Amino acid sequence: MISGSLLFQSLILGVLLGGLYALLAAGLTLYFGVMRVVMIAHSAFLILAAYLAWYFHRQTGLDPLLSMVVTAPLFFVIGVAMQRLLITRLRPATRTMMSVLLTFAIAIGIEGLLGYVFTGTHRRTQLSYSGASFELFGARVAVVKLIAFGLAAAALGGLFLLLRKTTFGQALRATMQHKEAAELAGIDTDRVAGYGFGIGLATAAVGGTAMALDVTIYPSLHWHWIGPLMAIIVVGGLGSVPGAAIAAMLLGVTQSLLQLPLGTTWAQTIFYLALFATLVFRPQGFFGGRLAQRF
Amino acid sequence: MRSGSESRRRIGTLARLLALAIGTALVLSFPQVAPNPYVLSAGVVIVNYAVLATSWNLVGGFTGYISLGHGAYLGLGAYGTGLLVTRADVPSFVALVIAAAIVAVLAIPIGIASLRVRGASFVIVSIALVLILLLVFQSWASFTGGSNGLVVPRPFPGLRRPEHHMVFFYLFCALLALALLAWWIIDRSRFGLGLKAIREDEDKAQALGTPTFAYKLAAFVVSATFTALGGGMYALWFGDLDPIFQFSILTGAYMVLMALLGGVRHLFGPVLGALVVGYALEYFKLEYGDTQLHLVATGVLLGLVVLFMPDGVIPAVADLYARFFKPQAASIREVSTAELLAQRAAEAGAQPGGGDGGPGGEPGGTSVPTSAEAKR
Amino acid sequence: MTAATTSSPPVTDGLRTVGLTKTFGGVTAVDAATVTFQHGKVNALIGPNGSGKTTFFNCVTGMIKPDSGRVTYRGRDITGHAPHRIAKAGIGRSFQLCRIFPRMTVLENVLVAARRTSLGALLGSPRGRAEVDRARGWLTRVGIEHLADVEARNLSYGQQKLLELAGVLMGDPETILLDEPAGGVNPALIERIGTLVRQLNAEGRTFLIVEHNMDMVMSLSDHVIVFDRGRPIAEGPPSVIRSDPRVLEAYLGV
Repeated sequence: MISGSLLFQSLILGVLLGGLYALLAAGLTLYFGVMRVVMIAHSAFLILAAYLAWYFHRQTGLDPLLSMVVTAPLFFVIGVAMQRLLITRLRPATRTMMSVLLTFAIAIGIEGLLGYVFTGTHRRTQLSYSGASFELFGARVAVVKLIAFGLAAAALGGLFLLLRKTTFGQALRATMQHKEAAELAGIDTDRVAGYGFGIGLATAAVGGTAMALDVTIYPSLHWHWIGPLMAIIVVGGLGSVPGAAIAAMLLGVTQSLLQLPLGTTWAQTIFYLALFATLVFRPQGFFGGRLAQRF
Repeated sequence: MRSGSESRRRIGTLARLLALAIGTALVLSFPQVAPNPYVLSAGVVIVNYAVLATSWNLVGGFTGYISLGHGAYLGLGAYGTGLLVTRADVPSFVALVIAAAIVAVLAIPIGIASLRVRGASFVIVSIALVLILLLVFQSWASFTGGSNGLVVPRPFPGLRRPEHHMVFFYLFCALLALALLAWWIIDRSRFGLGLKAIREDEDKAQALGTPTFAYKLAAFVVSATFTALGGGMYALWFGDLDPIFQFSILTGAYMVLMALLGGVRHLFGPVLGALVVGYALEYFKLEYGDTQLHLVATGVLLGLVVLFMPDGVIPAVADLYARFFKPQAASIREVSTAELLAQRAAEAGAQPGGGDGGPGGEPGGTSVPTSAEAKR
Repeated sequence: MTAATTSSPPVTDGLRTVGLTKTFGGVTAVDAATVTFQHGKVNALIGPNGSGKTTFFNCVTGMIKPDSGRVTYRGRDITGHAPHRIAKAGIGRSFQLCRIFPRMTVLENVLVAARRTSLGALLGSPRGRAEVDRARGWLTRVGIEHLADVEARNLSYGQQKLLELAGVLMGDPETILLDEPAGGVNPALIERIGTLVRQLNAEGRTFLIVEHNMDMVMSLSDHVIVFDRGRPIAEGPPSVIRSDPRVLEAYLGV
């Protein structure tokens, strides 16, 4: 029988994991919202950021979190560039479909580069506090996981504030909801879309750096993340960012709880099960609300 | 004039048949001219790719539903064949057919679930499918051998390696011929016209009475079956299976790349794509060894195709050629005054009340109708 | 059936809806709409923007599933049926923003609508003598037969509208639903479409036209149904509707 404290521990871990998923899913939602683009390369950039953080730590000995100072703005610029130079080249009629192929190409390109530069050896960042943990009502919580969650929560909170409280955020939301109407209101939707993309990719930088603290990384790791992430945004529905966040939390906790009876590998299947169930019963997702769309 | 265009058409058909005959002869003589067994085995791999790309094209090209997860059916066909041979003692080629039949049956519920969604959702579902199968086949080690792989005994144990490669080269060619035949039959059929209508505008096709879901499902099942045959044949040839290579998104990506590059609207498009990409892959493996650069190359190539030649390399090249060498012909809307008057007269004769003069166009507004009229 | 009275009773053996309702989020687009279209006549469906005409239209043609209510045709329930089954039942439709198959030729566009005779015929050629002749016949009827081998995307918008019509007619529908046939085309083409509608109606086909162009509606239709806020508020011959105060109120929003 699974003990209560073990259950509680899994719950906590699930919440921490869900937080990270939520941040990543938010990024994905941004890409789709502004340009109807399905960005399969998001998780590849995640791993890239993790590698950069690991490499930074290895070369300088400084805390890998500091690498975010460089990677977040860098990824923002790359995101804007991608939107302006690549995505806009796709014909609007088939943009969503073609974006899948294009970002898929980018993803395997990144994987190939990582494999070429860093080889396929599994890498792990070892920090002074890597093994530290502390007690929380009987559950052992690893410090690195808590930091990762804290980062994700902070980033999500920042994103929320940006979207709700700033003029740019308003313009971004308007563009996501109704591009033509936003244009009529005088918003430069192309530029907003570019920045939206940049923000999305910057969240990948944050998420990847957070991952580097705790996860063993290797070039093809992104495939382990893109499946669950895609499942999250389909289940959550392409509505508001909160929709994806809710689905992320729910699935993260469920995955963590399922690891107890089923083990890590089989617990991952929850995402695919949820994905197929959503497609069968409610293809537009469960939490997206009125804005949810079918791809 | 009529007999002139008739005889021109006959010459065209004859030329194409001749080209086909020559091409077939060249392909069939390849094992003879291959300098060493390695080159021959590379040839087998390329024909295998051609089978897979053509099979993918049965659904991807006709309906426009792009599956990045066709590796799932490849893997199921391969493991199906392998498991039937090793665990049920079924003769090799019987196992191949049975495995393909099993995949055909499985493809029905999979198709019913996947084809409910369109566009990017469908691609995501296809990726999810191959990922979950990878997970299952890796974890269920007791049944599938897991990451240790599965060894499939050769169907002709007495053959030495070169002969083994040669036999399978011809077997794959036969399978390719079958797949091409299937594509050809569908392409010129009413079923094919319906599928193409789905690709152009699915809702409109449905509004015109096409049972779109049934059509899509049929194409999907046929495509999955041929892909499974390709996978099973590979299992018999290669003899060693590993989930990570059989249930591979990368192989699925190759199939898409090959078909797109060669052109999805042409019978031999995927074959051409397989030749180009297959050769490039072998080259990369030789030059750069075991590094991951072939991934980068695939990514770059796929990106280029998506951005600049989504209809395939042949139309893109033809477009470029027309733009540089025949600038007049590039514009479709050019019509001389005499032709325009002739069209207006013809139209006025057909319909009392005058031409439509619709926005943005002359009645009969392109230069092509003149040749269409001339044909009649 | 009883003998005809001085005010002819509506014919009921055609398309009708009973209590059709469709809600999106908090908005009731179609509100318990009960409509009987006159079979054998040209019916027009008019109403101000936002009155639910298009949603109603889409529910009838199977593009949207209604929340409640029924759609029947010739006595058979077709509520929520898939569009291709509705087409097979004898109802053809055009789209508001004209939809054709851009990269197929004009002739192929029309051939898609050819009725399938048997399962075996699926693998046969779509260019059988009979079908091609019928297709060319419709193309000639709408006036674009000389464009038969042109790719549809190279046609002007007006020509595409005619092509769409030819494709619908190829399915040999008994009842034809046209969604804003006069939208985005010049007066000469409107005239031509109107003539076609009158001719086809004289040959026995029923029409239901959603339209904003009042001249076309008044000159073409036998029976007008006015929609407002998701339900019919008035129906009758054009001359009566034209001066109905409820209709004026709906349009002027008083």
